[in-house]
Amino acid sequence: MQASGQEQYVEFGIEQEQYAIRIEDIHEIIKIQDITAIPNVKDYVKGVINLRGRIVPVISLRCFFGSEEVPFTKSSRIVVIHHQEEAVGIIVDRVNKVTTFSDIQPPPERVGGVQGSFFTGIGLAESRLVGILRLDEVLLHE
Amino acid sequence: MLSEYREVFLEELEEQLQLMDEEILKLEQEEDCSQVVQSLFRAAHTLKGSSAAMGYDVMKNLTHEMEQLLDLVRSGKRGVTGKLIDRLFYALDHLKLLKLDIVDGGGGTGIDISVCVRQLRSYASGEETDGETAAIVNGEAETETKAGTGAETGEFGGMEGFKAQEPDFAKPPLPLNVRLKAGECLDQGLNVHWIFVRIAESCAIKGARAFVIQSGLAEWGEVLFASPEMEELPEQNGETADIAFLHAGSGRSPGDLQTLVSDMMDVAEARVEAVSSEEFELVQPQLSAALPLEPAMSAIQPVRNEERGAGTSAKGKTQTIRVSVERLEHLMNLVGELVIDQTRIHEVERVQRRRFNDPSVEELGHISDHLSRIIGDLQESVMKTRMLPIEQLFNRFPRMIRDLSRDLGKEIELVIEGKDTELDRTLIEEIADPLIHLIRNALDHGIEKPEIRQSKGKPAKGTLTIRAAHEDNQVVIYVIDDGAGIDALKMRNSAIGKGVITEEEAAYLSERESVELIFRPGFSTAAVVSDVSGRGVGMDIVKSHIEKLNGLIEIDTAVGQGTCFKIKLPLTLAIIEGLLVKLTGQTYIIPMSNIAEIVRVTPEDIKTVRGQSVILLRNQVIPVAWIHEYFRLPKPEGHKPYISLVIVGSAEKRLAMVVDELIGNQEIVIKSLGSYIGKVPGIAGGTILGDGSVALIMEIAGLIGKIGGKGAVSQGG
Repeated sequence: MQASGQEQYVEFGIEQEQYAIRIEDIHEIIKIQDITAIPNVKDYVKGVINLRGRIVPVISLRCFFGSEEVPFTKSSRIVVIHHQEEAVGIIVDRVNKVTTFSDIQPPPERVGGVQGSFFTGIGLAESRLVGILRLDEVLLHE
Repeated sequence: MLSEYREVFLEELEEQLQLMDEEILKLEQEEDCSQVVQSLFRAAHTLKGSSAAMGYDVMKNLTHEMEQLLDLVRSGKRGVTGKLIDRLFYALDHLKLLKLDIVDGGGGTGIDISVCVRQLRSYASGEETDGETAAIVNGEAETETKAGTGAETGEFGGMEGFKAQEPDFAKPPLPLNVRLKAGECLDQGLNVHWIFVRIAESCAIKGARAFVIQSGLAEWGEVLFASPEMEELPEQNGETADIAFLHAGSGRSPGDLQTLVSDMMDVAEARVEAVSSEEFELVQPQLSAALPLEPAMSAIQPVRNEERGAGTSAKGKTQTIRVSVERLEHLMNLVGELVIDQTRIHEVERVQRRRFNDPSVEELGHISDHLSRIIGDLQESVMKTRMLPIEQLFNRFPRMIRDLSRDLGKEIELVIEGKDTELDRTLIEEIADPLIHLIRNALDHGIEKPEIRQSKGKPAKGTLTIRAAHEDNQVVIYVIDDGAGIDALKMRNSAIGKGVITEEEAAYLSERESVELIFRPGFSTAAVVSDVSGRGVGMDIVKSHIEKLNGLIEIDTAVGQGTCFKIKLPLTLAIIEGLLVKLTGQTYIIPMSNIAEIVRVTPEDIKTVRGQSVILLRNQVIPVAWIHEYFRLPKPEGHKPYISLVIVGSAEKRLAMVVDELIGNQEIVIKSLGSYIGKVPGIAGGTILGDGSVALIMEIAGLIGKIGGKGAVSQGG
């Protein structure tokens, strides 16, 4: 795996699990906004938001991983990432902190109920296990 | 240096080629050509200068030849004939090829201009016998390399402008930074020299030799500038190569240098010229024409009005600058954000006003009002910067029509009106293909051959009118020919024959509808498929293309008198007039251009025919679409006494869409949903409303295709 320790990640949670995205891929983190639903698209594509004049699609990671939908809470956030020149928002239950990992293990075949290929690895930080998202897989998943 | 200026060079090239195109056409039409020749000469001269500066030698050589020839024409030594025009067009075509090569990253070296140069020279030399030009010019070319002796070749022969005795080396134009540097050197008391070197034809690797010479020169001082670039030197044997160095050094006289350089290997000839500081000052204004003043300015360069010639148009006199489209787009986005923030400020102000009674809140109100006025103006101004006169497109037509009418053996008089009409630049690009198709059609199928026209008592010369105008808030473009017109009966029979419609359907068609069959897919009236039109791209493509731009196309025709195509376009692509409607609490937008009418009916008015909901409107059966179902939205609760229906149409299909609520119409800026979402059936894009929320824009043609597929019937069917 790639060199660990130096690289910074933003760690966030869905249900009881922790996930992370490399900090360079993140554009900003915003509170939940009005989302305009789009008809006839995939379930986990929740719609589009207005990010200062830009129309940005948002997806629900909870729904993407097949978990049950719950209403947004005070701690729900949209993590806006930069992917292939475009901004995409990912709805998460909460954002924990910016972190580094002492060790990153290759992902097992399945992580929880989720396909292992969605992760670049499993990071270890203070005895917690964090799934590091492989954005290409998650966003280009058909 | 090259890549930095390449863009600016290409822009200039485009402009000059366009100018040449127009001017050469004028030569054909006008009696007094002196102005036109002058302007052509200037264009060739400008291009020669800038292509030489950029190191595009092939282009430089060709423009040089053109310049030489035009100079003779200008001074009256050669006349303006049809042949001259053909030759110039031929040369222009080569320049265009060279341009393409340069755009593709080639150095413009892949194009063979020898035939073209020969033609130009043979005209210049007064040899006008067509067939033997090649032989004559070949002989001339030989004498030329040996620094030709004949008076004729001496005058206009050699690529580099040889003179019989003393070789005449052309001074290349200098970029500003080199001029400044040279000026500095002179100020420091150094001697600055032009050193011209001609590398012998026997030298195999001229680039390498030139490099050796340059290194040699560097030992005696500093080489400030070398032209052409070493890589650009011809590699073939049997040709000499000229290089000019600008050299700064101390202690050596021009004579010394000349001896030193002449003694170097492979140097056929050398000449050294001392340079004085005046030279740089003198050269400056001429050069600033060819090159941008400094790198930072390269994106915005003043258009040189005086260079465009007095003959072009009065419009050229207005002060303009070049701005890249990207910057404009960026500006537009920033304004969009301002608009949204402004509505927010307004909202905050309202809240504050309710809460506090304070003069500062009053002040906030004033500021907010003022801000919204300014932002409104700003938005309009930025929008206008994207507008261009349609001239840009129309100027391409005269040449095209000239060539086409020749190929078709028809005589055409082209009338262009309303060149100044402005519209969005993206629209100009998008409308080009459909318009060209219409023009080709008019020439091919519309206007008859001269004999036929005369037998019908019409003038032998057909007239094609292309007109643009602003009407209401739209741009209207007409393509009018005085040709044969479209015969409704013939159209109907042909459509039945091709299986486009059934005989039953045909019986119901009005005359107008029969003519409009031309827009049906799979329909082409041409009995003979010619090269001009009928390449498998039909009028249906033209129509769908125009509709994609939120435009409309109409035909007006009279058999034997001609046809008029009328294209209506919105002023800009980015902004459309839309109707805001509510579906299950969410706002959607229907483009106004798709809306035929809005009606209110009672639930009892909606009937069911074979499982399809329909309404009867003025004896027309129109299918009703429950858009909620298609969008998978929950149907609104409760029973309303009335149902609002928006009747939309695309092509001849109609559909009545049920909406929960009509909100009103407003101008909206279309934004893409981005490639992550991609293409969503029935949705054309999104827009941001005044309150900052996103609303989706419906794509009516797609919706009719999807929902109406089973039930949408054609008008009157």
